[in-house]
Formats: sequence, structure tokens, C-alpha cells
Amino acid sequence: MTRIGQFRAWLGRDVNALLLAGALLLAAWPFFQGDPYSLRLLTLSGIYALAAIGYQFVFGHAGALSLAQGTFFGLGAYAAGILSVKAGLGFELTFPAAMAAAGLLAVIVALPVLRLESHYFALATLGVGQVVLLVAVNWESVTGGANGIAGVAKVSLFGLTVERGWPLMLLVWGLAGLGAWGARHFTGGMAGPKFALMREQPMAAEACGIDIRRLRFTAFLMSALYGGAAGALQVHTVRVVSPEVLEFPIMVSLLAITVIGGRTSIAGAILGAVLLVHLPEWFRPLEKYYLMSYGAALLATILVAPWGLMGALRMARQRWLPEPALPLPAPLPLSISATQDTLEIQRLVRHFGGVRAVDGIDLTVASGEALGIVGANGSGKSTLINLIAGAEKPDAGSIHWADGRIDGMPPAAIAQAGIARTFQSLKLVDAMSVLDNVSAGDRMGVDRRSAHGKAVELLGQLGLADVAWLPCGSLPPGLRRRAELARALIAGPSLLLLDEPAAGLTGEERVSLADTLSRLNRDGMTLAVVEHDLDFLTRFASRLVCLDGGRIIADGSPELVRDDPAVIAAWLGSPPVEACDG
Amino acid sequence: MELLQLVINGIALGAGYALVALGFVLVLNATSAVNFAQGDLVVAGGFMGVALAGLAPLPGIALLPFAMILMAAVGLIVSVLAYWPLRDRPPVSVFISTIALGIIIQNGLNGIFGAEPRVAPAMFGTGRFEFGGLALSHQSLAIMLVAALLIGGVHLLLGRTQLGRMLRATAQDSDIAAALGIPVGAMVALTFALAAALAGAAGLLLANQFFVTPADGGNFIVKAYIAVVIGGWGRIGGALAGAMLVALFETVVAAWFDYAVATGLLYAALLVILFVRPEGLFGEAAGRRA
Amino acid sequence: MLKTVTRRVFAVLAISALPATALAEVARIPVLVPVTGFLSLEGTAQRNGAVMALEEAIAAKVSVAYEFSDTSTSPEVAVTAMERAMREEHTLAVVGPILGTQMLAMLPLAEEYQVPLVTISGTAKLTEMGNPWIFRFFPGDAVTKVAHARYVVEELGAKRPAILYQTTAYGQSGRANLVETFASLGTTPVYEEGLEVSVKDMAPVLSKAMAANPDALVLHMHSGPTALLVRQARAQGIDLPIIAGSAMHQPTTAALLEPAELKGVCAESGSSPKSGGSSAMEHFAADYRVKFGSEPDAFALAQYDATRMVLAAMAHGAMASAAMRDWLSSNSFEGLAMTYKSDGKGNMAHNAVIVCYDGKSRVPQIAKRYEGVDLAK
Repeated sequence: MTRIGQFRAWLGRDVNALLLAGALLLAAWPFFQGDPYSLRLLTLSGIYALAAIGYQFVFGHAGALSLAQGTFFGLGAYAAGILSVKAGLGFELTFPAAMAAAGLLAVIVALPVLRLESHYFALATLGVGQVVLLVAVNWESVTGGANGIAGVAKVSLFGLTVERGWPLMLLVWGLAGLGAWGARHFTGGMAGPKFALMREQPMAAEACGIDIRRLRFTAFLMSALYGGAAGALQVHTVRVVSPEVLEFPIMVSLLAITVIGGRTSIAGAILGAVLLVHLPEWFRPLEKYYLMSYGAALLATILVAPWGLMGALRMARQRWLPEPALPLPAPLPLSISATQDTLEIQRLVRHFGGVRAVDGIDLTVASGEALGIVGANGSGKSTLINLIAGAEKPDAGSIHWADGRIDGMPPAAIAQAGIARTFQSLKLVDAMSVLDNVSAGDRMGVDRRSAHGKAVELLGQLGLADVAWLPCGSLPPGLRRRAELARALIAGPSLLLLDEPAAGLTGEERVSLADTLSRLNRDGMTLAVVEHDLDFLTRFASRLVCLDGGRIIADGSPELVRDDPAVIAAWLGSPPVEACDG
Repeated sequence: MELLQLVINGIALGAGYALVALGFVLVLNATSAVNFAQGDLVVAGGFMGVALAGLAPLPGIALLPFAMILMAAVGLIVSVLAYWPLRDRPPVSVFISTIALGIIIQNGLNGIFGAEPRVAPAMFGTGRFEFGGLALSHQSLAIMLVAALLIGGVHLLLGRTQLGRMLRATAQDSDIAAALGIPVGAMVALTFALAAALAGAAGLLLANQFFVTPADGGNFIVKAYIAVVIGGWGRIGGALAGAMLVALFETVVAAWFDYAVATGLLYAALLVILFVRPEGLFGEAAGRRA
Repeated sequence: MLKTVTRRVFAVLAISALPATALAEVARIPVLVPVTGFLSLEGTAQRNGAVMALEEAIAAKVSVAYEFSDTSTSPEVAVTAMERAMREEHTLAVVGPILGTQMLAMLPLAEEYQVPLVTISGTAKLTEMGNPWIFRFFPGDAVTKVAHARYVVEELGAKRPAILYQTTAYGQSGRANLVETFASLGTTPVYEEGLEVSVKDMAPVLSKAMAANPDALVLHMHSGPTALLVRQARAQGIDLPIIAGSAMHQPTTAALLEPAELKGVCAESGSSPKSGGSSAMEHFAADYRVKFGSEPDAFALAQYDATRMVLAAMAHGAMASAAMRDWLSSNSFEGLAMTYKSDGKGNMAHNAVIVCYDGKSRVPQIAKRYEGVDLAK
């Protein structure tokens, strides 16, 4: 395709044409409204856009409601302000110092705070912010107390002063653009789908070998760095630093910008920032009621566009102007690691309260074996899978894989050792395309392009190529099961654990799935499949075990196990006569 | 003796906070969403008392039912505006919508009443009881009594009535409740009304002793939030205990340390509690739904 | 309420709709003060005082117009408001906010725009930065806090004052001046503590302060907390003299308390319009009540005086912002509260009063006048 052709294709996709128009409008704006007031509003918009793009890492991508972004912003402002006034440093030093200060705080509080969930995390970050505010107000000798510090210098780079108005506005948007590019680069790569999976389906993320704590920490730290950078720009623009930069209204603004613009859309953050900085100005003539009108506009926006303005734009586009189907990326070959690793389970026990779900299981799965696990509901099959995959911790016994003991290891580490799994109840990100859902499992992948290539190869093998760009939530159960299987396969596991993969599939789909599994097994992949459907299992399994009451009651070739009277009694239903009648 | 006096003061203040936290946790249970306007509703209740006293110069106890009924109506509006359209969205949407609503309430009150502190009428009158060197103002006693009555009333409502059972079923699992034929929407609206009425009562009670200005809401919501987290997310008894703990920090701990240090200690304690017991001091009731 | 807003909107629209030729003749004096947030009480008084002076002038056919903008609580909003106001040509002076941090942020901008800032903010630092564009018409901390401390020591004979202040810009800078003056008078406070504005129960701080056995309570706090502390101190049977900051002179603060609770309570201030004193003052207070439906305080009066001095400068031909600065810095003006004259740094007000309540009414009486406090040094 020619360069122009590529550009046309880009324009036709998503809401890109609209974004380009918006960006041009934004760039042209000061030419029409070039007075210092408009330039200042645009400068402030750029500053808040930068802080909001940063906030999207932790709030949008990692899905954690942090209330500390205003604190990182304020801390950056204080660091830059103090260094400018007291040490006379220029922007080339105050700017990185502000980022470092915010980053340092993030590192310090990460340990106690990041392991908290949902609203506990929100309140803990709020508490951190309050403590920082308290310090700023009361440590008068350094921070100037509630009066703050006046006389912060204008932005000066290596002795060159950047005047307010045009130069400052361009610098701020230059840095905001740089920040946007960095964020785009980061989340447009493998981090994007991984974040989505971690946010929406944390269990599945861990099973795909994603280290959630590390990813959360990365997001939190990135947020802090962006917040600190924006704070430095703010203090050199306003030229005074006082505790107001640490107070809650800034946090509320950033939250509102992100929610109104769109939680993960960079264009949304910019749109939201421009809008929220200008909104109160438009209502100025209402005098003391202008903030009330601002609140009303905020409320109206979230009611009308609950997924953010960018979300609303995308939905409108999909509704009124459906995109032509995109061509699929070229498939890339997969690497399947045919290792000689053996899974060895010894005297494994797991109980819930008084119930022994797994009650002393000894089981060895040799390399290249295709094992079917059967048993009645509640016989311990799923628990066994969860124990192997690390989603549950055993109460006694051991699991060895390859050369090491894996019981008690976190699920992500087990996945990294080459064990992949699927779930009985599907754990996909409904709003994300099949392609990205599958790519999220590519834990070794370095960039999204190659992950997409591998995903396309798998989707072709599994008959999903036609739906690659559709969101998973829109697919029938059979296709979603296969998408989850593809996600488990993309990292090229040595051992694949499947928990009722045939549930909800039609007869035809079952046959095709069994053929796929059979082929994978021939290629050297070890399988352990929990399933009710014996016919399905016998199509590829070389060995069956039957569980009852958390113990293995039969183990052998499929024929042998199927005809075992104990198995018939325990699983196929007792008394057998009725089963025959039925 | 002095300690005892401070504890008494703390309990009176904590009784007020407890009403705020109770409303917060009721909405939380029914909707999994944080109503961040709860603090501004307290302030609105205070100004409701000021306005009602301007119309009819009666003691606070006579105005209380009217203030609560009017605030319940405000609560219905809150649920219709800020919760109902967002019920199928992530809870954080409601967090933002109620923040927006709080901005509207705060600045609306600032526009109507002005920024100066106002005082609401006392429940029964001014004066104080003294016994053995301890003092208890009539208003403090009134706060404790009214709060105890209201909390007891809510307890009976939830525990002993058909309506209460429906409210609790909705709070436990709205899908199952809907399947059982309970009008979930009406129950949620009613919960918002109840929460706003409690906030209004707290506002009227506290606005006599501590005055009220339009900007006070932020302080109340943060205190309620802390109380609910300390007490265990979604746990009603825990929220009440948490409110008492917060108030005792403000009275008893602040009598030994600087206010700045006492506040710092409160947040430090909060962070330690979260670190050591992430599910709150009294365990979690609402689960990880939010 | 809504009607006045609509009327103002129309007024603003009407002004902006005027043809450009007519605009050039009209002098502009934007009013940028906080009417939302925690200083909105003081800011509203400021706004009312300025608006009253300007509308009197407009009624007298002076060619002047004003636009009012809220500065809320943050420096960022204040600076934006100033840029917005400075879009208009022919701006002679800007009425600046009472909030010190906002003023500090506006100072460099005033210098770039070469426009005088006329304010009542008390923050000491404002006039210490060597900026020639600041004019302060309310006695700063260097005046009021000296009067405050001198009254406590010299008139009340206190030797063991306890200072309670607020952890805000207002509170911290006032406290510094108080301590300094006490030291120069040979007195050391026996207790000091900064309180957050949100503190509700004052019993803990009172118990700590009383443990130091003080002979006077010196407050430097905002309106609501001042009233809370006075009430709780009286309720606990503490009958020490309480000498409060200027918030206590405000009628809205006194309205929160019973007259009996106010016995032995004094306050510093620049003036006390409610206490009357002259027919001009009483006339002002009456007009103010009619116009705004509330009692005027010293902040309203000071901003009224300040704005009238700006108008007087215009009457004397200062029709450009540089001429305005020169006139303000070299002339004296007979205001209602006092005579204003710059000390060379932009401090225009040098007098303070101490008012005291008698325990029978909510109208304070002037107990002591301090004149030329900062000039004597």
C-alpha cells in the first residue's frame, strides 16, 4: 500500500478522522483566540492532559481507583517550586526532580498500598495524600506552610527563559505530546491487552503468566511520574506553590477528566482536560452559581456518556458508520516446546472447611500423555486443576513439574514454567477483540504485532479467523471457548490443563475440538482434560482417571476405566439398571 | 476525670458521625457504590434546619421530622439523578456522579445561604447537666439520644419488618432479590432516601453545636469513609464503631498531641489497619463486589 | 437572588455589546475575589465593598465599568481570572483577592501587565517582595497583630498569653507576627497551637491550653472556629479574656453567639462599621444593608475605601495604569475607616482598632485605637 493509501485506511478506521480534525482544531485555536487568557487556558489544559494521561495507567489500565494522583501532581509542584526558589535551579533540573520526587513517593507507598483491593486502595491512597498535605501545611521551614512559596521562576531551560503565552503553551503541549506518545507506545504494545486482562479477569491474567503485582506497580509508578511532571509544569506556570495543589479538588478534576474523556483513551484524556479547564470559564457569567453549573455539566456528561466521550464517539461510529472489516495481520508460526517434563503429584490434599475436595491424590502425567479426568460433580476435578495451576494452595502433599516443586507457587510462576489452563466458567475480556484477548496470553511477546501474528495463526487453526476483530462478548459460547483455548496455547505451553472445554458446545464443535486437541497432543503437548463427555474424551485421551470424593478410584486406558464397576457406580450413576433404562 | 469528659465529648461527636456513616454504608450495601455526596447531604440537612427555623422558630426536636422528610425527598432525587441511570455501569461512575452532585449541592447552598457559618436551633434548648465535675450540654445529650433512637429505629426496620427484609435482600444480592419479585429499584431509592434522612438528622444535630458552612461536606465524607473502612466494608455495626473511633481520635488523642499530629496519627492508624487487616477491624460484609 | 444574577449577566452582556469606540473611553476595574470556597465570606464582603463604590460612581456618571470574577481558593484560578480580566483594554487597576497565596501568584503578572493590584489581603509577604504594583488597604499583619499583642500586654496586663491560630495562610502568617511582637514586649506565649479549619470539638485544645495556666487567650482564627472556641470556652467556665482576630469583629461571627458568651471577648480589626462612630460611617452601613441585605464588616469597608481611592485618582486625571500607580503611591486619601497613605511599599493602612463586646449586645464598642502602627517603627 502506498503511504497515502495507508493514511486513508488509518483515517477510515475507528474515530481517527475525528481525532485528527480535533487535533488540528486545537492547534489552530490560538490563531483565532491568541490572547494571553486563551493561551493560558490552553497551557493549563496541556498540563492537566499530561497528568490525566498518567492517571489512566493506574485508574484506566490497571483499574485501581487511586486517589493519590493529585498528591503526585502537588508533590511534583512542591519539589520543582522549592528547588527553583531555594536552589535557583532551572527547569532542566526541576522537571526531572519533580518526577523523581513523585516516583519516590510511589515506590515508598507501593508496598503497603498496592496489595489492597478496590475501595481500600482508594482510601489508603487518599490517606497518603492527606498525610502529604499535612506535612506541606505544617513543615513551614521547608514548604512555607499554608502560605506556600512565592517567586517561582518562569520555565528556563539552560538559562533560556520560556515566556508565558505562546512559548510556554508550545512547551507544555510538546511535553504532553511526548507523554501521550510514550503512553501510546507502552499501552499500544503488549501492556494494553495484558492490562485489560488483569483488570477484568485477574485470575485469568495470573494463569497467563502475568505478574499482576508488577504490572500494578508499573502502572502506579508511571502515573506518579506523569503526575510529577505535570506538577512541575503547573508550578512554573502559576509561579506560586501552596497547599491547594495537594488538596482534593485537583484529584477530583483529574478523575473527572479521565471519566469524562474515557478511561483508557489518550485522546479522551486530552479532550477531557481541554473541556474541564474551559467548562468553568464558560459558566463565569453565572457568578457564584458557576461552580454549580460546572457540577451539573459534569453530572450530565457522565449520565449521557458513561463510557466517556471517546467511548460515546466510538459507539456512534459503530452504529452510524460501521467500519469495513480490517484485513488480518499475516500469521506467524508458533513455537511449541516439546519438552520431556513430567508432572508428579503426591498425596495431595485440599479441604474446604470439613469437606475434603482433594483427599490424597497420587498422579503422574508423563510427557506427551493425553489424560482425561472424569468424575461426578464435586468429586474434586476442578480443585485438582486449580491446585496444579496454583489458583489454590494444597493443605498437604506435593506437586513436582519438570525439575522443581510447584505447589504453593503463585499461578503466574507456574504459567511461566510452561503450564497453561482454561477455566470452567470462561474468563475473557468481553469488550476486547478476540485477537487482543488471545494476544494477552502471549507472555513472551515483545510487541503486539508479533502477538497478533501468532494469534492469527491459532485463530486460523481453531476456525476463529472470521471473528478475529469482534469483541469476545458478542460471540456464542462455542467460539468463546475456543478463544480461551487459543489464549492458553499462544505461549506454547508444555502442559495444557482444560476444565470442561466441551461444555456448551454442539456435537459438531466437540468433534472439531477433539481433533484439535488430538493434533496438539501429536505435536508433543501434554494434556490434562477435565470433562463429563466420555465420547469426547475417548477421541484423543490415551488414559483416563476417575475421581470420587477427592480420590482416584480408577486409572487406566479409556476402555478399562469406562467399564470399571466402581466408576459406573460413582460417576455414570447408580444403580446401573436405571441408567440403561434411561 | 478530664479524660472522661473528653470521652463524653467524643461520644457525642461520634454519635453524629455514626449517623453519617450509617447512611453511607446502607447505600453502599444496596448499590455497591460510594455515595460521595453524603457529606454534602449532611450540610444540606444543617441548612434545612436553619431555613426551617427561619420559617417557624421551634426547637430542633420539632423541626427534626420535617427536616428528615424533606431530606428523604432529596435522597430520592439523588438516587434518580446520580444512581439509577448508572446502575449497570462500574461503581466508579456513581462515585463521580455523586461527586458532581456534591459540587452542585455545595455551591447551590453557597449561592442561596452565603458562606457565613450558620447555627441551627438546639434540640431542646441550651444549658448543661453537671455531675461530679463532668459536664454534658443538653445538645450533646440530645445528639446521643436522637442518634441512638434513629440507629435503633433503622435496626428494627431492617431486622423486624417485611420492608426491612426486602431492603436486606436487595443489599445482599439484587439479582436474586429481583427474581424473588422484590421491586429492587424502589428498594434502592428507599435506601437513598433513608440515607439522606439520616444525613439530614446528623446535619441538623451537628449544625447547632458546631455550626454549618457550605464547604463542610468534604470533612464529613472523609470521616464516614474512614469509619466504614476501619469497621469493615459494608458492615453496619463496624461503621458505627468506626465513627466512634474517628471521633475519639479527634477529642481524646487530640488532647495529648497537636491536632496536626492527631490527624497524622489517624491516617497512620488507618494505613496500619489496612496493612495488617485489609478487611477492616471487624471483617468485611460486602465482599469484593465494589 | 436569581433576579440579581440575571441582571448582572445582562449588564455584562450589555457592556460587551457596546461598540469598540465607546469602550476605549470607559475605564475598567475588574473585581477578582473569592466568593466560593473557604474564604468566600471575606471575599463576598470584599466584592460588596468594591461593587458599592463602583456602582455609586457609575450612578454619578463616572465612565467606569467592572467585571467580577470568582477566584475560588487556588492561585491557579486567580491567575487565570486575571488573564481573563486583562483582555479588556484600559484597565486602570484590579481589585485583588483577600487570599494571600492568590495575591502572591498575581504579583508577577501585575508587573508584566503594569497594572496596580488593590487588595485587603493581610499577608505580610505581599509588600515585602519589592513589587511596586501592590496596594494594600487593610492593615496588614504588621499593623493588626502589633495592635493585637500590644492590647493584650499593655491594656490587659497579660503575662502568660496562649495563642491559638489556624493552619491556613492567614493563621500562620498572623501567628508569626504575634509571636514576634510578644517577644518585643518581653512576653513569651505559654502555649501555641495551630488548628485545622475542620476541627469541631475545641475541648481538647482548651484543655491543653488551660494546662499551661494562661492569663489570656489570643486567637487568630477564621470566623466559624473563632465562634466555636469562644462558645466552648465559656461553656466550660473559662472566663479568661479572649482577644480574637478580625473574624470576631464580623457581625456574622457575633451572630453565632449569645451576647452573654461574648462578655470579655475583644477583637482586632481595621475598623468596625457596625459600631458606627461618624455619620458618614452610619450612612455607609445603612446603604450597605439595603443593597446587600447583610451587615458590613471591616473588609467590606476597606475595599470600599480602596475602590474609592482608585476612583479619586481617576478624578485627579490618573487615566492610565501607570499614572494610577503613581497617584496611589504618592497621595493620601481620607477614607471612612481611616486615612490611607502608602509607606513606600504599598501598605496604605496603618491604623487598627480593638473592639470589645460588653456581654449585653452583639454590637462591639471600640476599646482602643492604634494609629500609624507600622510607621512608628
